[in-house]
Amino acid sequence: MSSPNANIKDAFHELASERSGGKGPKARRKNCARPMAPGTAVGGCAFDGAKVALQPITDVAHLIHGPLACEGNSWDNRGTASSGPTLWRTSFTTDLTEIDIVMGHSERKLFKAIREIKEGYAPAAIFVYSTCITAMIGDDIEVVCKRASDEFALPVVPVNAPGFLGSKNLGNKLAGEALLKHVIGTVEADEPSVCDINILGEFNLSGEFWLVKPLLDKLGIRVRACIPGDARYLHVASAHRSRAAMTVCSTAFVALARKMQERWDIPFFEGSFYGISGTSEALRRIADLLVRKGADPSLLRRTEILVAEEEEKVWKRLEAYRPRLEGKRVLLNTGGVKSWSVVHALMEIGMEIVGTSVKKSTLEDRERVKQTLKEENLLFESMSPRELFSLLLERKADIMLSGGRTQYIALKAKLPWLDINQERHHAYAGYEGMVQLARQIDLAIHNPMWPQVREPAPWEPALVV
Amino acid sequence: MPQSAEKTLDHAPLFCEPEYRKMLAKKKLKFECPHPDQVVSDQREFTKSWEYREKNLARQALVVNPAKACQPLGAVFAAAGFERTMSFVHGSQGCVAYYRSHLSRHFKEPSSVVSSSMTEDAAVFGGLKNMVDGLANTYKLYNPKMIAVSTTCMAEVIGDDLHGFIENAKSEGSVPRDFDVPFAHTPAFVGSHVDGYDSMVKGVLENFWKGTARSEATASVNIIPGFDGFCVGNNRELKRLLDLMQVTYMFIQDASDQFDTPSDGNFRMYDGGTKINDVKAALNAEGTLSLQYYNTRKTLDYCRAVGQATTSFRYPLGVEATDELLMAISDISTREIPEVIRLERGRLIDAMADSQAWLYGKKYAIYGDPDFVYGMARFIMETGGEPTHCLATNGTSAWEDEMKELLASSPFGKNAQVWPGKDLWALRSLLFTEPVDLLIGNSYGKYLERDTGTPLVRLTFPIFDRHHHHRFPLMGYQGGLRLLTAILDKIFDNLDRETMHAGVTDYSYDLTR
Ligand code: SF4
Ligand code: SF4
Repeated sequence: MSSPNANIKDAFHELASERSGGKGPKARRKNCARPMAPGTAVGGCAFDGAKVALQPITDVAHLIHGPLACEGNSWDNRGTASSGPTLWRTSFTTDLTEIDIVMGHSERKLFKAIREIKEGYAPAAIFVYSTCITAMIGDDIEVVCKRASDEFALPVVPVNAPGFLGSKNLGNKLAGEALLKHVIGTVEADEPSVCDINILGEFNLSGEFWLVKPLLDKLGIRVRACIPGDARYLHVASAHRSRAAMTVCSTAFVALARKMQERWDIPFFEGSFYGISGTSEALRRIADLLVRKGADPSLLRRTEILVAEEEEKVWKRLEAYRPRLEGKRVLLNTGGVKSWSVVHALMEIGMEIVGTSVKKSTLEDRERVKQTLKEENLLFESMSPRELFSLLLERKADIMLSGGRTQYIALKAKLPWLDINQERHHAYAGYEGMVQLARQIDLAIHNPMWPQVREPAPWEPALVV
Repeated sequence: MPQSAEKTLDHAPLFCEPEYRKMLAKKKLKFECPHPDQVVSDQREFTKSWEYREKNLARQALVVNPAKACQPLGAVFAAAGFERTMSFVHGSQGCVAYYRSHLSRHFKEPSSVVSSSMTEDAAVFGGLKNMVDGLANTYKLYNPKMIAVSTTCMAEVIGDDLHGFIENAKSEGSVPRDFDVPFAHTPAFVGSHVDGYDSMVKGVLENFWKGTARSEATASVNIIPGFDGFCVGNNRELKRLLDLMQVTYMFIQDASDQFDTPSDGNFRMYDGGTKINDVKAALNAEGTLSLQYYNTRKTLDYCRAVGQATTSFRYPLGVEATDELLMAISDISTREIPEVIRLERGRLIDAMADSQAWLYGKKYAIYGDPDFVYGMARFIMETGGEPTHCLATNGTSAWEDEMKELLASSPFGKNAQVWPGKDLWALRSLLFTEPVDLLIGNSYGKYLERDTGTPLVRLTFPIFDRHHHHRFPLMGYQGGLRLLTAILDKIFDNLDRETMHAGVTDYSYDLTR
């Protein structure tokens, strides 16, 4: 077995301390050792988490080293938009079979596969992911990558996050570690500017970040690296020359942000581009950090002007939706940062939150939801489908916002549903995105199909609800 | 900014607006150090060449865009076809999340699977504790009637012994002694989802049949459908035909209701599936008939071993294959095929005759599971089409031989090529160098459709980007009609698209076809 190196221990520790807060070493250790109860519902594994976190780097070939299925079951299963290369969508795997494993051929096969990619696709870099099997049979992907890297004069980056190590969350963090260890800081930025920033944990789903970028452009702020959404290898490799950073999906990359602060003195904050005040707040804080790091102080004033203009515009646009959405009851079933940022955004347009899950939230995230909602019992951890189903009915939700896997629970309850996770087809970030979000919720709730769906068949006695 | 309350654009048109185009172009210039356009287009042309094809097909260590899934996915699908059965995958948890989304995205239904969530500890000390706790939790939380256990590669590499573990778990009281926990070892680095399906169905049968002697054979026929993304439509259509024939039959593994629950305000974690008592009784059936050979090789061996007559089909599609299926059923059950079915058959043939001019000589590339490719190639040849490329990433050399035999049986198979073990990136080269008129497969083919311009007809698992196809049957004579229509629609849509350019091609933009 490849030894769990310091990175992994470190990430484990971080994860555990977030979960158990200040509960002392014993509680922490408990969390480290057994993060998931066998036989309950499941989420993705560390490998999945690492792949999700890095795959949107678009000009990189992502090679999955393992039996076919880790990749075969999951390739191209996420919508994040690329403004250029499509290589990241192509599935590469070494498809290990029993013979490779028994004969001990797997490292050689990996090396060959790297060569085949280099020759056939000439990518900017190759990321090599280990999986349960290759980790267990002891393949040393670090060594193979190093050798390949030297021989082909191409960055070949090992991502050591086999599934069994733990949750998707942990995988996200290990992905950050891989970037820190092998990528960030390896290329010097040309013409660095005092207004360069990094955005971490933004996935550019449905091109969402492109709704925000023009705002930054207007302020003369350059996004050197948006990691991972629509990123290029070179951006990421030179990200250490940015002056400030914002983490969007904090669970994914907050550790990375912290370490970049330590190593390169890049201050950061956790923010969100969901909702009107969320977006404004994020812009202000970016400007503030940049000015503190030496940008022209006029940036602050210009930001205020932009914020004021944009907010006015967007509130006007939202007027059409407000009366239609005011007082409608939403159940939010998503994790992490979205549980507070979207809650906040929805409340801004007058909707009522009847519950939100905090299953992937960091402690800070949780605090923020609590502050926003002011009522503890609206927070819930992950639930079994049946519980979720009952909750929807009990709390008389008008709509559920969640990811694809739970959508059918709402639909079976004859309730409208809107995708707020990775498969969604609409971009909700920034001021523009808020209009889109309001519109989509309005469409979902007021679809003429619902009354029809809810009526019993004409020959049935009416249901008492 | 183009977004407004009156007219909110979806992201596809939105990012076509000039300001976004400009932003993206700028990004490209600044950040990508892009190659000159000429170099890019030369490279693109190169990937269409025979030279590249040779390189591409010679790949050994690298699989690019595979068309297969792993064993446990097949096992999970198999378990979904039994009454109140929860799938329990012993191993690391990530795989399971994939299976759930895979099935959910195809069937547009929730999919319940749990995992024993093995972590590094388990890798070192073995997964027994995970099994003990996991079964207990599953039993308590989800109230199943049966828990079907399969494995991921991880558990297989450690060498966990399922039988022993389950016994242990029962001794520790995780589930009652007499609770049914069938299992199957399903290492993902061997075979594919079709083998996992096979092992799980066999595991369930063994669980109920082992140690029980067969009594007098009953005049009933067992039917095993195999891994079939169209099970919702197919199983129901077959049942209709069997009912018309008044045959006594039992579907062993029937996921049609589980993956098609109605929206009536109830939440069903489990629905339909073969009843446990029926599985028990199925031991005494006259014979067992499998609709897909590669999905049921081990299971059928087992059925034979207990003394049943067995027959297997290769995903029977179209006229001849349906004829054979019905006659085989008629044989075993000694029931006649009624007149209504004969009329249905006549109608399918009539339809094929109506459209033959459009189908004759069309060239196809077909990919998917071995049985599917076989059945589809056979149907295509019936319509006068030529299956030019037949590809199965999980096809073996035995499959290759069988395919060749099938293709040799018809003049339309003369120029066909069979590609076992190849992936969709190989197919891309094949489509460039020896183009075809239509591509038949699953959703993943959409990239091939885009790159090579070959229209794609989605007729097999998984279909993520279209809705409801799986609710309609492909099997039986009715199913044949649906196949025919799907293919013809694609041909006509394409023809319309090609001929709709005003003043250039629209001399052929016709109303009647
Ligand atoms: S748990 Fe292991 S085998 Fe499963 S997907 Fe994750 S890495 Fe692959
Ligand atoms: S780890 Fe094994 S069982 Fe899991 S997805 Fe990968 S191949 Fe399948």
